[in-house]
Amino acid sequence: MENILSVLVFFPAIAGLLGFVVNKESARVYGVTVAAIEFFLSLWLWFAFDNNNAGMQFVEMIPLIPDFGVSYYLGVDGISLFIVIMSTLMTLIGMISMNIAKNIKNMVITLLFLEMTMVGVFLSLDAIIFYLFWELSLVPMLYIIGAWGGPLRIYASIKFFLYTFMGSLVMLVGMLFVAYIYHDLTGVWSFALTDWYALVLPVSYQLWLFAAFFIGFAIKVPMFPFHTWLPYAHGQAPTIGSVILAAVLLKMGTYGFVRFSLPMFPDASVIAITPIAIISIIMIIYTAMVAYAQKDMKQVIAYSSVSHMGIIMLGIFAMNAEGIGGSVFQMLSHGIVSGALFMLVGVIYDRRHTKMMDEFGGLATVMPKYALVFGIMLMASVGLPLTIGFVGEFLVLIGFYNVSPIMTILAGTSIIVGAVYMLSVYKKSFFGPVTNEANRTLQDLDAKETISLVPLVLIVVWLGVHPKPVLEPIDNSVKAMLSFMDEKAITQEAKEMIKVAKSTQEIK
Amino acid sequence: MENLVYIALFAPLVSSLFAGLFGMSPRQTFVGIVSSALLFVSMSASLMLAYHVYQTGAPIYVTMKEWISMGDLFIPFGFVVDQVSVTMMGVVTVVSTVVHVYSIGYMDHDKSFNRFFSYLSAFVFSMMVLVMSDNFAGLFIGWEGVGVCSWLLIGFWYHKPDQSREENPSISPSWAANEAFIVNRIADLGMLVGIFILYWNVGSLQYSEVFAALPQLSEIILTTAALALFIGAMGKSAQFPLHTWLTDAMEGPTPVSALIHAATMVTAGVFLVIRANPLFSMTPEVSFFIAALGTFVAFFAASMALVNRDLKRIIAFSTLSQLGYMFAAAGLGAYWIALFHLGAHAFFKALLFLGAGNVMHAMHDELDIFKMGGLKKQMKWTYIYMGLASLALAGIPPLAGFFSKDAIIETAFNEGTLILWIMLVVTAGMTAFYSFRQVFLTFHGDERYKAFGIHPHEMYKFVLVALSPLAILAAIAGFFQGGFHDFVTRLLPEYQMSEHTHHLALVLGAIVLTFAVGGIALAYKKYANGLKRDEKTENGFLYKLLANQYYIPHLYEEIISKPYAMISDLMWKSVDLKIVDATVDGIAKFLYKSGDGTRKMQTGNLSNYLNWMAIGGIVLLVIAMLSAMLG
Repeated sequence: MENILSVLVFFPAIAGLLGFVVNKESARVYGVTVAAIEFFLSLWLWFAFDNNNAGMQFVEMIPLIPDFGVSYYLGVDGISLFIVIMSTLMTLIGMISMNIAKNIKNMVITLLFLEMTMVGVFLSLDAIIFYLFWELSLVPMLYIIGAWGGPLRIYASIKFFLYTFMGSLVMLVGMLFVAYIYHDLTGVWSFALTDWYALVLPVSYQLWLFAAFFIGFAIKVPMFPFHTWLPYAHGQAPTIGSVILAAVLLKMGTYGFVRFSLPMFPDASVIAITPIAIISIIMIIYTAMVAYAQKDMKQVIAYSSVSHMGIIMLGIFAMNAEGIGGSVFQMLSHGIVSGALFMLVGVIYDRRHTKMMDEFGGLATVMPKYALVFGIMLMASVGLPLTIGFVGEFLVLIGFYNVSPIMTILAGTSIIVGAVYMLSVYKKSFFGPVTNEANRTLQDLDAKETISLVPLVLIVVWLGVHPKPVLEPIDNSVKAMLSFMDEKAITQEAKEMIKVAKSTQEIK
Repeated sequence: MENLVYIALFAPLVSSLFAGLFGMSPRQTFVGIVSSALLFVSMSASLMLAYHVYQTGAPIYVTMKEWISMGDLFIPFGFVVDQVSVTMMGVVTVVSTVVHVYSIGYMDHDKSFNRFFSYLSAFVFSMMVLVMSDNFAGLFIGWEGVGVCSWLLIGFWYHKPDQSREENPSISPSWAANEAFIVNRIADLGMLVGIFILYWNVGSLQYSEVFAALPQLSEIILTTAALALFIGAMGKSAQFPLHTWLTDAMEGPTPVSALIHAATMVTAGVFLVIRANPLFSMTPEVSFFIAALGTFVAFFAASMALVNRDLKRIIAFSTLSQLGYMFAAAGLGAYWIALFHLGAHAFFKALLFLGAGNVMHAMHDELDIFKMGGLKKQMKWTYIYMGLASLALAGIPPLAGFFSKDAIIETAFNEGTLILWIMLVVTAGMTAFYSFRQVFLTFHGDERYKAFGIHPHEMYKFVLVALSPLAILAAIAGFFQGGFHDFVTRLLPEYQMSEHTHHLALVLGAIVLTFAVGGIALAYKKYANGLKRDEKTENGFLYKLLANQYYIPHLYEEIISKPYAMISDLMWKSVDLKIVDATVDGIAKFLYKSGDGTRKMQTGNLSNYLNWMAIGGIVLLVIAMLSAMLG
């Protein structure tokens, strides 16, 4: 299959269009089937992926507007491969677990379109195509929150849309400017990322461009202080919306930093290490504290997402393979774990129609299976070794230690403050006597919930014990990127800071 | 041999998974039996390995597979069975097996019987990973694993409600579990930092490579690495100021207290110092700090045990105190003596705890020793076991504790650290006193429990039989001191008393023994013939200070827990909502309002538009002028 990437991007969208003619009763089965096929296609991509090739694979390029160098340009490397697989997996699992009665057909179609935009973002190698998918992803999410959300859904969805949209506009300006410089220097127009990588820009240009891209990515991540749209979006979104938002959409921001900011502006990135590390540390500690203060279970998970994204950001700016590779792995791990946690909150919300922790207590007695799965995800979330959560966090911290020991210790408090809020959630909701009569008769996980959660539990353990199949391609691509950045960097500081792993292979 | 290593390591895991299969079904005795049998298999394999290592003197290295590999970092699942790890494996599996069998009886009426065995075996597996790993990352897996199992087991009776500190000093099992986990995490950060330092300076986390590279490292790096690792050890081994969780951990079922919070997990910190002895012996300042802190904790914990009325908490304080002894030895460079005391202590302390479990079982979970007394009639065997364990703990010859503790105290003298020596000697006296205060109040004197309508009964026979290996080991382990020394010093640094100390050995031993016997005699005088409450002392400042653990738990609550909750709330309500988010909304509102305001320009009246056009033209002209002047 030469065009596997195109198939991956457009299959869900075409299936979504066809979905309009599917009748309402079978919409859900249809959605699950399509998502399952898409997931198996992405697995096939992994199967066909050459682990020893650190560069772009399965590249497709069709010029769209040759005069301006805009082309339909897709490719996949070790960094994007697993994020794509994670996106298709979480869409599938989300679709299976979905518990929506109202307008289910619209939801299925929306999700399939959303899947196209997500996969598209991670596979695009042309800035314009990337930007298209990036912005298009807002629309289905706006609809999901606005149509199926809680009482404040309109406010939350508009805030989400306008805030992130504004950020991306600044990024668009940055992109246009890069293209302009490219034209200025080479005489041809190009929006291809691989062409842009070759540009060696003066530091002052790099700084401005870095800032422009930063605004777009940082709001998406979301980095402090641009994070306040997230609690509202999660608070109002239906479970499926939160799952996709936390698992995949947030990763677009961090992915953007790895794909654009680092290789394009290595010197500016090195200059930005300290400010970004400070913001990341604020994200880690401050939002962990805010999470601890929450009374609503879902808000705890929402704020914890911000805290974990802080770890990912820190690792990206470690400028060594341990840190960046750890960040990419942590993106996957956070996707799986936070997705599962949001699904788990959904489970109890479906039963009690409340997410307030003081309404619960003693759930472990009534719902032991639910408590078990929640416990496993909790432990993954606090980074217990042999779960998926440890690998990324450990690599990020060990990577950043080489940059700054003090800041690593501050960031490392995440293992403490993370345990504080997660254990407090668990104690308030699951431990103690059953005090609320309404909780006494709750049903434990049903078949549908079990089917959707068990695979995630298995992945959490599998990639915690045996992360090698995933780490290896990431490792290769990250090492290649670092040695490329090192060659390209013009300032001495950047060259010193960017640490090329001793074990780096030659790029083919 | 490789297979034996895997059997020793994975039999507990199999046991845990097997019991876990039945985790949500009603109590099944065979689950306990199968688990215990698997633990027995693991124990046999460990002892065979011990024999093999003893015979050949050669360590066994096993590398299972690669775990994490990224950049230049490479971490395998690698295990090493050498003199140190095999000693730990032996101790861990022997005590674990006994505790498993014991739990079949003790947890007899618990509806979560199966779940209990699953957790207990999972703990043993984690502990085996901890002691057997051949690298720091593997150690950390076990380190965190035992932490989680400890969390699960302390909070095993999670359904109990929170109480006030006056009613129950540990609030509730789930509270105590969370406290233990979080305090340990604080220390784990130190441990991680130590690992990071070693990685970036050595390039590997394998023990062999790290220890080989130590001589090339600068002093400051060695010191910080040693200190960071020791902070990790302080958490697991509950050293001051991270000690409060250990007594609260007594909320867990008693077999858990015996296995995790006395014999094995809490000694992990000591094990770490022993394992990393090449690092610690190169950093004399850190080592002395360890010894000093250990001595302080030995004394400090013993002082709190003097007045406590809770059967289990007294033993917990004594554990804390004995851990202090071990750190004192390790800090002074006598690693093999520390390891010896670790093993001996595991046997007699587990026995003591399990005996206390029998008492609890008989007394319907009553823990207040002031409400007991005269139990020796009903519980002869338990009395013998606990008496024996207490004698061993007090250091009375020829029991295990005499040899191991005496060696530590002698080391303190040998090193010329007289203050440490005096404190350790005094602590030995205190140890004897509180141990026998407990024994006498529980088993001698008037039968105070009758007033509470309790009818005590002896524990099941098979449980009493199962305890016998521990009793035998507690009694005779001391005789193997010489053999043990020869065995472990093939790996650990040799430590011998100087000529001078050697001459004085008898005198020194006599001093310690005087204190120990004195402590017992004092306890006998005060408590053997029943409880006479002394209101005046009990209301005195010192008594209250000790009974409230120097008010440290209160202090932590006031200066850490409460402010943290308060600041968190403030961060959310005042900063996040009122500043960060309000700014965003403010900008949005401003744009919206200004749009709304300027909308009024669109009147549809042509002359209005012309007016605005004129104003606009003037503004543009002014701007053009200004820029021309400035430019």
